[in-house]
Amino acid sequence: MTTSSTLRPGVGDRSVTDPGPPAPRPRGDGAAALAFLTPSIITFLVFVLAPTVGVLVLSFYNWNLLSDGTFVGLDNFDRLIHDGRLLGVYGSTTYMALAILAVNVVLGLLLAVLLETRMPRWLRGFFRLSYLFPFVVSASAVALIWRFLLNKDLGLVNYLLGLVHVDRIDWLGSSAFAPVSVIIVNSWKTIGFSILVYIAGLQSIPDQLREAAIVDGAGAWTRFWRITFPLLSPTIFFLVVINTINSFQIFAEPRVLTQGGPGDSSRTIVEYLYDRAFGDFDLGYASAIGITFALILVVLTAIQFWFSRRWTFY
Amino acid sequence: MNIPYRKIALACATTAMAVTALAACSNGSDSASSSGAKSLEIVYWNYGPAAESGNKATADAFMAAHSDVKVTLTPVTGENWGTYYANVATLIASGKHPDLMVISGEGAQFVHSNNLVQPINKYLDKDSAAKAIVGDIAKGLIDGFTVKGDVVTLAYGWNDMVVYYNTDLFKKAGIAPPKPDWTWDDFKATAKKLTADTNGDGKPDQYGFTWASNEIFPGIMPWVANAGGNLTSDDVCQATADTPQVNKAVSFLNGMITEGIAPAPMPMSDVFTRFQNGQIAMFGAGRWPIATFLPAGFKAFDIQLYPKGDTYKTVFGGAGYPILKSSKNPDLAWEYQKFTVSNEIEKQYVGTPDKPGDSIPSRRSVAQTISKVGVPPANSDLYYNSIDDYPTLVPYPAPAKYSTFESTVLRHLQQIFAGEASVSDGLKSMQSELSSIVTC
Repeated sequence: MTTSSTLRPGVGDRSVTDPGPPAPRPRGDGAAALAFLTPSIITFLVFVLAPTVGVLVLSFYNWNLLSDGTFVGLDNFDRLIHDGRLLGVYGSTTYMALAILAVNVVLGLLLAVLLETRMPRWLRGFFRLSYLFPFVVSASAVALIWRFLLNKDLGLVNYLLGLVHVDRIDWLGSSAFAPVSVIIVNSWKTIGFSILVYIAGLQSIPDQLREAAIVDGAGAWTRFWRITFPLLSPTIFFLVVINTINSFQIFAEPRVLTQGGPGDSSRTIVEYLYDRAFGDFDLGYASAIGITFALILVVLTAIQFWFSRRWTFY
Repeated sequence: MNIPYRKIALACATTAMAVTALAACSNGSDSASSSGAKSLEIVYWNYGPAAESGNKATADAFMAAHSDVKVTLTPVTGENWGTYYANVATLIASGKHPDLMVISGEGAQFVHSNNLVQPINKYLDKDSAAKAIVGDIAKGLIDGFTVKGDVVTLAYGWNDMVVYYNTDLFKKAGIAPPKPDWTWDDFKATAKKLTADTNGDGKPDQYGFTWASNEIFPGIMPWVANAGGNLTSDDVCQATADTPQVNKAVSFLNGMITEGIAPAPMPMSDVFTRFQNGQIAMFGAGRWPIATFLPAGFKAFDIQLYPKGDTYKTVFGGAGYPILKSSKNPDLAWEYQKFTVSNEIEKQYVGTPDKPGDSIPSRRSVAQTISKVGVPPANSDLYYNSIDDYPTLVPYPAPAKYSTFESTVLRHLQQIFAGEASVSDGLKSMQSELSSIVTC
């Protein structure tokens, strides 16, 4: 008796099961697909591709929005090299972005694992809601409330710290703490998303694997590193990529909390770009910043993909 | 395979709707003009419900008086006047051709230097009704909107910088209300008395004074002006940020922080809240805070002039509807601008005790009714008197690149007030950076 009849077409012994060339798609499928895709394609063309091409073209022009632009070749890119503030802004952006990334990926994992431990259902629901809620609130609204809380002399945070004899900290006004405030507020807002994704990843790991490890005498630490972490690696990789891109692009929190200051200590590159475009009306230079920044993010993401092959298990 | 024709039809319809919506976005303004009726398109800063309702009321009243005119209002958002101008510029770049746009005094140089505006000198010369209106408007308000001899617009409303003080806190501390001739020393002594540790934790939680960290108009400018300085030269072509006068003003404010009389500066919206809840006893602003205070039921405040330093000058800024060069109907636009300073419209800015206006009417005769109709504060007559009876700071330092100018000044002040740069070093750095921003 042959088993070929139980195999799905195209699987197994080709000589027995080969169904021949695939049947031609019924006419009309392509048109239907195109019809369904058209709204997305139009949206992509109008809101993504066209602006991207527009920004690329603008980066070769000197244009203030109101007069005719002048072609300046690579001048705007040359200005990037001589811009005395740009490197500092990249530095503060990188510092804040890496810290936010670390908090989201590491603390997010820790909190997700804790939330998956045994606890009453209502308590688990409460914690999940508490962590996720800030994520769905507007970033500007979140930052406004935190600005009030973090005020050095009249804020609630310093009042509470004062109860345990900690001196008033200038959260928003000092170069040392202003970026820390941005990191705290952004992480507080976004960590719920990371936790949510981690929980989904943790729940997709079969219980039998952990149970088998327990039978084999593996402790909690060993089970985490030998089972949970490897099987969660695609989730971790996804969050690293997403959080890297998002954290490098933060705008609302530094804008509302610290206005990027003092100096440029909490200024992000997106904020700097925005000021050049809509403060200085220097669209060409802002576009050059935008293009180089996008390229940097693409390279960063590509490195992450390349490096992920060493530690991600699918 | 059955082809789901209905689904395809639905998808096509969705696509068509999307395309139509996009097309509508770009052509929305043409519908009025294509109907053959006279039309005006007006752009305004939508900073909140008051702006929306005020502009709508003016437009409706104009249309009621001119039944053949269709007025289209285009609200434009912005976190301040600077970003509003940027967004209007984006709007114009995208092909819109408004007839009028609301600007503040800071925007006069911007619209003039970008060749956006049609000066109204010829209308003022020929229109007899305009002459009567101008006679009822303080000279400073006309001068404040005059750039190189061109009158950019008539101001429909304006604000001067005055000190707001919490009358409850003054009474509680046993301090008499300030007088118009008070000095910096008087001010500091008053602020010191009003600074208190109310919860007994050894640190103050009520401060005598603070100022807005996110704007220079209600921030440092009144102090700079009263020290006899300005941030730019008279022709607004050169920065003058490191002069002894500016140094004196900034040092005074910085001293308030270091002596614990003022908290770390905060944005204006936070100042409003803390003033109402009694954590701040005094702050500086125009008339706009009353549009927040009175509807919230807070009436325990009054106003006084800024204290005198080496001199006294009223710092003010106005707003108007200049006619843009893109207007296809400038004569009609002029009628609209004139209408915005008519008695009927000016009365809107007076408001009522429950629903006060958020700026001072430009017409003296109308502004003088504020105290008569009972709109707080008690000392409301001071608003207009401050520009009629005292010298003014003209020009207000508003170079063409105002947004960059203001953000640069604020960035350096942040470092000074955080104690990360000395006043002298901070102002030197500010001056160095401003020298390429404030040019002609």
